[in-house]
Amino acid sequence: MKRARKVVLPLAVFAALVLLWEVAVPLFRIQPIVLPPPSGIAQTMASTAGPIAFHARYTLVTTMIGFGAAVGLGLLLGFAIGASAAVHDALYPLLVGFNSIPKAAVVPLLVMWFGIGTVPAVLTAFLLAFFPVAVNVAVGLATLESELRDVLRVLGASRWQIFRKVGVPRTMPLFFASLKVAVSSAFVGSVISETVASNAGIGYLMAVAASDFNTALAFGGLFVLAAMGVVLYGIFAVIERRMTGWAYAE
Amino acid sequence: MIRAVEGVSLDVPRGATVAFVGPSGCGKSTLLKLIAGLLTTSHGSVLVDGQAVTRPLKNVGMAFQNPVLLPWRTVLDNLLLPLEILRENGDPRAPERAAWRERALRLLHTVGLEGSEHRQPRELSGGMRQRVSLCRALIHEPALLLLDEPFAALDAFTREEMWELHQALRLEREFTGVLVTHDLREAVFLADTIYVMRTHPGRLAYVHPVTFAAPRSMADLYSHDGTELIRQMRDEIRPPRGAVA
Repeated sequence: MKRARKVVLPLAVFAALVLLWEVAVPLFRIQPIVLPPPSGIAQTMASTAGPIAFHARYTLVTTMIGFGAAVGLGLLLGFAIGASAAVHDALYPLLVGFNSIPKAAVVPLLVMWFGIGTVPAVLTAFLLAFFPVAVNVAVGLATLESELRDVLRVLGASRWQIFRKVGVPRTMPLFFASLKVAVSSAFVGSVISETVASNAGIGYLMAVAASDFNTALAFGGLFVLAAMGVVLYGIFAVIERRMTGWAYAE
Repeated sequence: MIRAVEGVSLDVPRGATVAFVGPSGCGKSTLLKLIAGLLTTSHGSVLVDGQAVTRPLKNVGMAFQNPVLLPWRTVLDNLLLPLEILRENGDPRAPERAAWRERALRLLHTVGLEGSEHRQPRELSGGMRQRVSLCRALIHEPALLLLDEPFAALDAFTREEMWELHQALRLEREFTGVLVTHDLREAVFLADTIYVMRTHPGRLAYVHPVTFAAPRSMADLYSHDGTELIRQMRDEIRPPRGAVA
């Protein structure tokens, strides 16, 4: 009952908002070029389904490559920062400083170096996604209870054994939690870069649609992005639950 | 440099249990870490089995107020963790893998947790977790058991149960015990000798042998000798108003 409510209620609110939108556009005589009704957007999406699917696939691949690289490097960096106080002191401030740069500002540089296309999009996705992974993994390792460490050390356990038997498993909930944040960030990164400098991807599609004043298609792109973002987040939320169910109270 | 503990000199006979009691900040826990080799002395020395302790010992069981079980492992797998580590390190004390389970189940039986081996730590009460923690400290049959306020977070009745459990474990197997506690009754119930410590810097102030025969019972605590000892130690730790320390 409660479960059903959690699914049905947000869907009902969404449907109500779309309906309100549909009714409001003719009611207030809004020009379709400013705000097309949802039915018009749906029509445009259906008639351009082919190109939309192509660009969506392109964005997805770009995002996943950047995300994959971010997970790999984020894990390594997070383990290094969490396991060693010296590495932490040396790198953590730099990492925080770097993360406070708005990544959209880096795109022009990437375009200068790598040209317009996939590479800047992958790199922007990577730059946005690796920070949450690295920080979460580092925090998971660094907050190991000192008592637990002591219990194992007086058995003759090495630092490596403590890391492997205790550090890594207890970091996994934080790691998997960071994945759903990171995948959303990677998605934002690739779309930003596509919007500015690409010739494929949903970001590019929307930029072109906007320059043609094709508002319906721009909205269509937005809906596709929203759906992709929700699905990606959902997938990693489910993986998180599956992998680290022990971290949740019954 | 701040001296956490100084002027502490004592011997713990093999197989005996000693307790350190005293106010917060008197260096009880520091002393325990020095014995385990988790800290090294700046002056003086700690000898275990005649050997100077310069790095963490390898034949010690430890339990703390916080049971720190691994939430992703079952009770049984939590107990087997020390054996896994000994095994990996080629420690001769690690029994054959075939014997692990049996040994863990026997310990669980002793502490009244038979049938709980496949439960997750989060399903257990505080007292049950603390029992598992105690079992984990003993699974590798250490020669030395170090307890740092192990029962402080438990309610009074569960704590008394744990004392009796500890006594049962001690009768069953040989180990030398060092207990750090705020609870004077706990010290009287569990220890053969009690050291009362003082602060600034931490040092030994008084020594009390406890002469009740084993097995001890709650009645011993409430006997004339028991209450008198507790009252005396209490006054030593916090001198009564008006008295000159």
